[in-house]
Amino acid sequence: MSGRPETERKTDGFDAGAIRRQFAILNREIAWLDNAATTQRPEAVLKAMDQFYRQHNANVRRSVHRLGAEATAAYEGARATVARFVGAAAPEEIVFTAGTTAAVNLATFGFARWEIGPGDEVWVSALEHHSNWVPWQQAVKGVGATLKVIPLTPEGRLDLEVFRKGLAAHRTKWVAVAWVSNVLGAENDVRAICDLAHAAGARVLVDGAQGVAHLQPDVAALGCDFFAFSGHKAYGPMGIGALWGRRELLEQTEPLLYGGEMIARVDDLKSTWAEPPYRFEAGTQNVAGAVGLAAAIEWVRDLPAGAHAYVAELAREAAARLAERPGVRVWGPAEGRVSLVSFSVAGVHAHDVAQVLDGRGVAVRAGHMCAQPLMRRLGIESAVRASFAPYNAPDEIRRLLEGVQAAQELFT
Amino acid sequence: MNDIYQAALLAHAKNPHGAGAVPRGTEDAEALNAGCGDEIRVKLVWTPEGGLERLVYEIHGCAVSVAAASMAARRLEGKTPDEIAATAAAFAARLGQAGFEEEWGDFRAFNGIENYPARLHCALLVWQALEKALAKRAGP
Repeated sequence: MSGRPETERKTDGFDAGAIRRQFAILNREIAWLDNAATTQRPEAVLKAMDQFYRQHNANVRRSVHRLGAEATAAYEGARATVARFVGAAAPEEIVFTAGTTAAVNLATFGFARWEIGPGDEVWVSALEHHSNWVPWQQAVKGVGATLKVIPLTPEGRLDLEVFRKGLAAHRTKWVAVAWVSNVLGAENDVRAICDLAHAAGARVLVDGAQGVAHLQPDVAALGCDFFAFSGHKAYGPMGIGALWGRRELLEQTEPLLYGGEMIARVDDLKSTWAEPPYRFEAGTQNVAGAVGLAAAIEWVRDLPAGAHAYVAELAREAAARLAERPGVRVWGPAEGRVSLVSFSVAGVHAHDVAQVLDGRGVAVRAGHMCAQPLMRRLGIESAVRASFAPYNAPDEIRRLLEGVQAAQELFT
Repeated sequence: MNDIYQAALLAHAKNPHGAGAVPRGTEDAEALNAGCGDEIRVKLVWTPEGGLERLVYEIHGCAVSVAAASMAARRLEGKTPDEIAATAAAFAARLGQAGFEEEWGDFRAFNGIENYPARLHCALLVWQALEKALAKRAGP
């Protein structure tokens, strides 16, 4: 038995089956609905990384031999690909990091915290992932600054009216906001937030982790000052991501990691730093990861027309079907889902829902999803999340619904 | 399909023995599961002779963590602090291996959980709270 009768189905001309066939891991009988935690990787990405290690592997920017030159070309080529992807002015505006968390920490502790002093304010939004909350919380701690929170409207969107009124010229220094919520699923109006913040003299960091797989990033259009994202949430490898920052900001950013390759000159008692972005890339870098990230970006760019609309439609359909079920509460705005739906089942713990689903071959996320401040505002400890990619089939929504029903029958 | 949810475990989860209100600030100890946000607050009520009269707990957790707390509450009644500590240590050492023996009683419902390593910490939540409560009782 195939077990995946619907994967070949075409929806509005978009062929999810053709995408799915590029993912070897999906030959397992798994409905992978945990894409917001990490996507799977297509053959093109695996092949690019494999090829790097098999044919070009060397340490970059320090070797005179030919493999060193090839590895450097591959690494810097990847940087240029990332730069084009996010709309950077130059490749040098891209710092490779271990991922979004590392990128946010570099921006926060390498740059932002030097601008934050007693009486100043930093804003985060109520729906931030811990990776874009905790660094700012720690940055204001001890310097006499205050962390403020953009609240949610009853519908589950950011309340920009409260933000607008609360912004304090000269006191508000930084704003940190997610492009797309990893729990509520909607795209935030980052442009409006950036415009409001800039008018008050503040700068903005955007956590792009949940956006890059599904929306076209353009840092100029978003209007932000720093943009962070991970490769693994967009079909690339784990352990690689990037921080984009305008050159003049990166030039003022302090390194957080000291060591090899990030220096201009080392004397016994003092050192000077290399130019950005190399100043921030101490030690041997994840070159194969960068190569894989570039391959993933190219893969996303080459997705057939309709792929992103198809994913949004899967999320909308799943949310609508879940909301129809007695005892199920769907979180987040009804309109504008990018790729995911989070929900709670009355009387059944999120982990138990996920466990029952796993028993039926459906992989979802359950827990606080690294957004405890948001969970508290929703009045819950945890939720279940189904998140989609172009390789998912409409039939997997049916399996999700059947699993939720089975969990309800088992526990209530 | 889900051999983690045996009938005996579900019975405890649906009607947990000893569950009750332990308002924040009145607990002897609490334990948190950082991975999922689950939490338990425990209150140990002792007899004049120094045995456990009852374990009261307030828990926000999954079926496994609730069932574990329920089983602990039932099993530990009348036990001394030393006996509770010994049971906690024995359970923690035992969990994750197949085949809880006869003497483990209701805990045999955790046979099968060894196939779900991500859920072992759920079964340990109540025991972590108990160990903290005992340490606090023993004093510095």
